Amino acid sequence: MKPERANCSSRRIVFLLLFVLAALFTRPTAGSPPQNNSKEELLVLAGEMGHPGGRLVVALRAEPKTLNPLIALDAPSREVIGAMQADLVHINRATQLTEPALAKSWKISPDGLRYTLVLRSGLKFSDGYPLDADDVLFTFRVYLDEKVHAPQRDLLLFDGKPLSLRKTDSQTIVFQLPKPYGVAERMFDGWAILPKHLLEKPYEEGKIAQLGALATRPNEWAGLGPFRLKEYVAGQRLVLERNPYFWKADEKGNRLPYLNELVFLFVPSADAQVLRFQSGETDVISRLGAENFSVLSRQEGNYTMVDAGPGFEYNFLFFNLSDPTEKTPAEIVQRQKWFREAKFRQAVSAAIDREAIVRLVYQGRGAPLWGLVTPGNRRWQDEKLPHPPRSLDRARTLLKEAGFSWTSASDGEITLLDSGGKPVEFSVVTSSSNADRAKMATLIQDDLKQLGMRVAVVPLEFRSLLDRVTQTKEYDACVLGMVSPDADPNVDVNVWLSRGGTHLWNPSQAHPATPWEAEIDRLIDEQMYARTFEQRKKLYDRAQELLREYQPMIFLASPDILTGAKKSVGNFRPAVLEPYVLWNVEQLYLKNDAVNATR
Amino acid sequence: MRYLLRRSAHAAFLLLGVSLLAFAFTVLAPGSYFDEMRLNPQIAPETIVALRSRYELDRPLPVRYVHWVISLAHGDMGFSFAYNTPVAPLLLVRARNTLLLTVTVMLLAWGIALPLGIWSADHLGRLPDRLLSWGTAALLVIPDLVLALGLLVIAVKMGRLPTGGMVSLNFENLSFLGKTRDLLLHMALPVAALVLSVLPLLVRHVRAAVAEVLLAPFLLAAEGHGIPRRTLLYRYALPAAANPLVALFGFSIGTLLSGSLLIEVVMSWPGLGPFLLEAILARDIYVVIGGVLLSTLFLVGGNFLADLLLYWADPRIRTETGA
Repeated sequence: MKPERANCSSRRIVFLLLFVLAALFTRPTAGSPPQNNSKEELLVLAGEMGHPGGRLVVALRAEPKTLNPLIALDAPSREVIGAMQADLVHINRATQLTEPALAKSWKISPDGLRYTLVLRSGLKFSDGYPLDADDVLFTFRVYLDEKVHAPQRDLLLFDGKPLSLRKTDSQTIVFQLPKPYGVAERMFDGWAILPKHLLEKPYEEGKIAQLGALATRPNEWAGLGPFRLKEYVAGQRLVLERNPYFWKADEKGNRLPYLNELVFLFVPSADAQVLRFQSGETDVISRLGAENFSVLSRQEGNYTMVDAGPGFEYNFLFFNLSDPTEKTPAEIVQRQKWFREAKFRQAVSAAIDREAIVRLVYQGRGAPLWGLVTPGNRRWQDEKLPHPPRSLDRARTLLKEAGFSWTSASDGEITLLDSGGKPVEFSVVTSSSNADRAKMATLIQDDLKQLGMRVAVVPLEFRSLLDRVTQTKEYDACVLGMVSPDADPNVDVNVWLSRGGTHLWNPSQAHPATPWEAEIDRLIDEQMYARTFEQRKKLYDRAQELLREYQPMIFLASPDILTGAKKSVGNFRPAVLEPYVLWNVEQLYLKNDAVNATR
Repeated sequence: MRYLLRRSAHAAFLLLGVSLLAFAFTVLAPGSYFDEMRLNPQIAPETIVALRSRYELDRPLPVRYVHWVISLAHGDMGFSFAYNTPVAPLLLVRARNTLLLTVTVMLLAWGIALPLGIWSADHLGRLPDRLLSWGTAALLVIPDLVLALGLLVIAVKMGRLPTGGMVSLNFENLSFLGKTRDLLLHMALPVAALVLSVLPLLVRHVRAAVAEVLLAPFLLAAEGHGIPRRTLLYRYALPAAANPLVALFGFSIGTLLSGSLLIEVVMSWPGLGPFLLEAILARDIYVVIGGVLLSTLFLVGGNFLADLLLYWADPRIRTETGA
């Protein structure tokens, strides 16, 4: 009996050991995502129904620099990140209005200080890990951390004070603002929600900014966007593959995106991009110049060209109104006396033929501008803002009123003289790499010649230009352009506010230099924290009128967003907000999969 | 051996000088990488100051140079502001692609230029020589950019050759032969553009060097002895004319990294061209300095190789050095 008992107990020990081993090996490890049994709340999108499969090839003008949304600054990186990440509330690039995204709903408290966002349940990152409120808390903790130096951090500060947030349960987050904010839920657009399970450790070690290099292995990076990383070949391409956990579906319940792969090819020149589109190597094209657009439109090809209308780019001329320092050359200080005269600036504005700029620079594919808000921004455009046609007579009257006079040479050439008898001569700097702006400067030179002003156009390499305009301030006037990333005017407040760094004509003022700048400051500050759209619009319209009246920036024109796609690309609906053609990438599909498969 | 040491010391001084100059020029050029952020209304000036400080752009020049030299010693070659990673791996992967292109071009161009130049010198002043001279003159006056764009337009019209890039998207799925074919097809246009741009110069140099030697009395004597023309040209004339050509060959090696930059940009070849152009425009200074240093290394290496070849090819130099 004894040996039998001994045998039995040793068998028990073996079973016990096996059980322990089995338990050890079946326990979830760091590499396998924990299970989330809650029902997935997918967002159902309306629109043309597509079919799955295929690969869409897009060209980028430059190689993206990073996949890390915390440090991404360049447009190609942002475009790629846009396809790999998702935000809580999203601005629909077509309607320009907000729509639910990772947050299925939001509620704003009556005092406008508290935003309660509820996450969709059952969502997962592209590596299969579930999303919950902790990821959102982690994300904003990182963005707000001064040591991380996220460029977007300033958007989360209100009068220098950061917003705070807490979770009330695993799906609900409450954001507390120090002040009511007019932008409301739009402020949540563009904040990519980061995977805490992957990034918390590097963040604690102070290494989060070093992550997300392009050579990152696909299993080390995750997001909530429609695509995830598949392959990167330095200098050549970045391949994204379909995220099988993406949280949007079409009306039939098919999970989006339709495409299997999204390929970004790096094609460094605009002309080479056109050639590769023509030869069928890429499927869609955007950021086209008017000339290339015309060439492609004229040719019979297997593609459709779409002019989406004026975008959010505003081009303008501005004079150097900054306070002179000891280093400012005496000639610039002398010329600044003219530039500071509002009637001088008004006369220059009246003499510029904006219609000719649109016709000659953009081949008619653009809109003349009299204010910062372009016609592409339907909600915020000031309809009452006057659009006076070019008038040399009015320009001459204004100059006469400001004490200027004219003299004629024997060859009939007229010269404008200031009240001290000095001829009016100045230079306009512009970027040599932007042919459109160089053309604008030349047209302005020609327009102002008719008033007797001698203008020299000086194209400068872009960084040298920025150095002159923002650092040394050694310039007379400049033609420049900016693109608003959103329809809401708050993205441009630092252009308006005299204390703003992009208040280009006289940046970062300690106190407003003029009463009208003080008034603009007041209006913009007030609209920033006003609660209703009507209140904000009224205040913003008034600021636009002041800007038009005093002309510190003389607005010129806004180009159309020119795009194209192969006829086989379904759901191609370019928007005038960035990213122009990939904003609905999850809905894009290939009508003829076979064509793509053989490529 | 002493000669080797002397050349190495020269090379080290040259590299030091070039690195100092490159550092000074790139750092002192107006504008910095973070200037573009100044045009972004959503980024506060304080953030830009903090970022400049993080990347040491606010430190004195000598400190930055010393830090860069230390980083060079670690094999990093500095840090790219744009890519947020060390420069060396970024440069090396692209330099490999550039070398694939330029080494092919060099071999092809010399392979064509030598027989063509010798043949032209042999027919000096006659119709074939004049036709070739006109042809090379025409190619010399056509700017590289026009040549590249012309070839691209032809390729688009023909629809047979890829208009950019290095390999097709389905490259990984191809067989070895398929991969080779795909790579060669992608190389065809940039190689053709580069060969056409360097060939005229090489042909003219070979022609001039050989033509000069063909009038030498020892060759006339050799001809009088009834040595076949072909042997005369390749066995006797070419070695005698080699000196200037060897120097030119060394120079060709020196331009291996820098000679194709423009064509690479136009043809979307993923080499150093588009990468350095972007870095220069963006003021990603350590990438630019790294690129310049790498090119200098090739120049030094090319000249060194040319010296060794001359030493080997020309007994007079050996005698002079020996004396």
